[in-house]
Amino acid sequence: MDREPGIVRTYLRVGTLFELQYRVNFLLQLVQSLVALGTAVAVIALVFSYTDDLAGWSPYELLVIVGVHVLLGGVIRAFIQPSMQRLMEDIREGKLDHVLVKPADAQLLVSIQKFSIWQLVDVVVGAAVIAVAVVNLDQRLGLLDAGAFALTLILGAVTIYCFWLLITVGAFWIVRMEFVAELFNGLYQAGRWPVTIYPTWLQVSFTVLIPLAFAITVPAEALTGRLGGTMVLAALAFTAVIVALTRWAWRRGLRRYDGASA
Amino acid sequence: MTDVVVEDLRRVFRVPVREAGLGAAVRSLYRREHREVRAVEGLSFRIAPGEVVGFLGPNGAGKTTTLKMLAGLLHPSDGSARVLGHEPWRRERDFLSRITLVMGNRNQLQWDLPVVDSFEMNRAIFRIPRPEFEAARDELVDLLEIGDLVTKPVRNLSLGERMKAEIVGALLHRPQVMFLDEPTIGLDVTMQKRIRTFLGEYNRRSGASVMLTSHYMADVLALCERVIVIHHGRILYDGALSGLADRVAASKTITVRLPDGRVELSGYGHVLARDGGRVTIEVPRTDASRVAARLLNEHEVSDLTIEDPPLEDVIERVFSDGDAAAAEAATAPVPPGPTG
Repeated sequence: MDREPGIVRTYLRVGTLFELQYRVNFLLQLVQSLVALGTAVAVIALVFSYTDDLAGWSPYELLVIVGVHVLLGGVIRAFIQPSMQRLMEDIREGKLDHVLVKPADAQLLVSIQKFSIWQLVDVVVGAAVIAVAVVNLDQRLGLLDAGAFALTLILGAVTIYCFWLLITVGAFWIVRMEFVAELFNGLYQAGRWPVTIYPTWLQVSFTVLIPLAFAITVPAEALTGRLGGTMVLAALAFTAVIVALTRWAWRRGLRRYDGASA
Repeated sequence: MTDVVVEDLRRVFRVPVREAGLGAAVRSLYRREHREVRAVEGLSFRIAPGEVVGFLGPNGAGKTTTLKMLAGLLHPSDGSARVLGHEPWRRERDFLSRITLVMGNRNQLQWDLPVVDSFEMNRAIFRIPRPEFEAARDELVDLLEIGDLVTKPVRNLSLGERMKAEIVGALLHRPQVMFLDEPTIGLDVTMQKRIRTFLGEYNRRSGASVMLTSHYMADVLALCERVIVIHHGRILYDGALSGLADRVAASKTITVRLPDGRVELSGYGHVLARDGGRVTIEVPRTDASRVAARLLNEHEVSDLTIEDPPLEDVIERVFSDGDAAAAEAATAPVPPGPTG
């Protein structure tokens, strides 16, 4: 596996240089991010004009969730979604051959094939929102909380990546999977609120089926003093399981590809 | 020493079938019917290092399936294959680092990126040390004359330019075995020739063995001393290209040039063409030298050549013979015992 970091570095560099040519995308993205953020904040303000507390979350605590939601959304659209959409096309058109004859991990190669770095604007905006919210929170943030936040956020990103790949790999069996991107983006909006405000069946769905709880609510809990050690362990375990499951499904999918292409 | 050893290689595909019509479509929802397609039926051959082998056959003969099995993309249903001592379908890194697969109708380079960036990605994937990479890149770019194209995005290149860039990208790691599936498909004659010349030159310089499929006989004539002809997944001929005509063509053509264009030559053989004093006659293979001698004796001949029929015709003949043999086998009573 010692050659993989070099591959990732090269892909990142090449992809970044390519995207830097399209500077107007940066402005567009910035405007889009700010409009989306403004809407989110307006909705929170509207909710809290009627109540002081939403399922135990104060306005600034909810702003933390908005920040995590925006940040992770940026990560997804910058690093995960572009490659997964390309992969979906490649599977459908039987164009995976060139990846499979390369002496590197095929899952890695398909997962880093495309980036949209301007989407990282959302990561910056999300981080800024989190910072503003945390400064205005009542309780002080300890080093341990920050560490737990960073860890659970990374686990959340990995979980979302696995979730995307699992769905994309479905294209090995079901040919048309494009609608999934739309579906995911729709459902991702639900992550703007803490999963605890939803009815139990939705909470379960957002935890196990679409891992929004682990990706967004759990990191936000770390910053708002709600996260216990058990939950961190649960997030770790959940990530480990979904990583293994994804790897397994990817291998099964490749075997299927082997059988289908002529 | 052999680079490729193939023993009784087979591949069966299971494909879903349904008849036309709504009823059949609905039925197929709950009960899928499958049909077995035997793409490759027991191929055996060996390829020595540095050898260039033409792999010929009509569409659907099993050429691409075989190349895919040898490049590690497909698992065979039965039989064995070793390429550079590896079982290809294990896709071991040492194996993949030493082979290459070029498919004329697929592109491996990144569509939106400049060509050099794709090369750079291959450098990282194959872990080619920088000096070696640059030497290989510059040599190949020079040989194929694409120096001014490499900074353009792939999507801006013409088909021929793209193919040249593809080939450079596929050879940067200096593979020992090359699988080329229709590398000149869709290209104009000049470009085909350019690529052909390059492949010949590369083979001489690197000593890499090459397995090539092409529908253009000029590619085969220029590059391959040996051909393997397959049809319906079976080998019909494996041997020297020059021996193919001896084996299957029943005739030769004699072309004579006579000062007197009115001479009647139908008594010597089947007259194929007559253009002034230039007459082409088809004669049975075994009679060719005797007829030629007679012509020289009996007429004032200014020029005479004896040739095999064009390779296209020879190949077509191989296929039709193959079909006839298959039909015969299908109607013949099946002998008892296990069948493959």
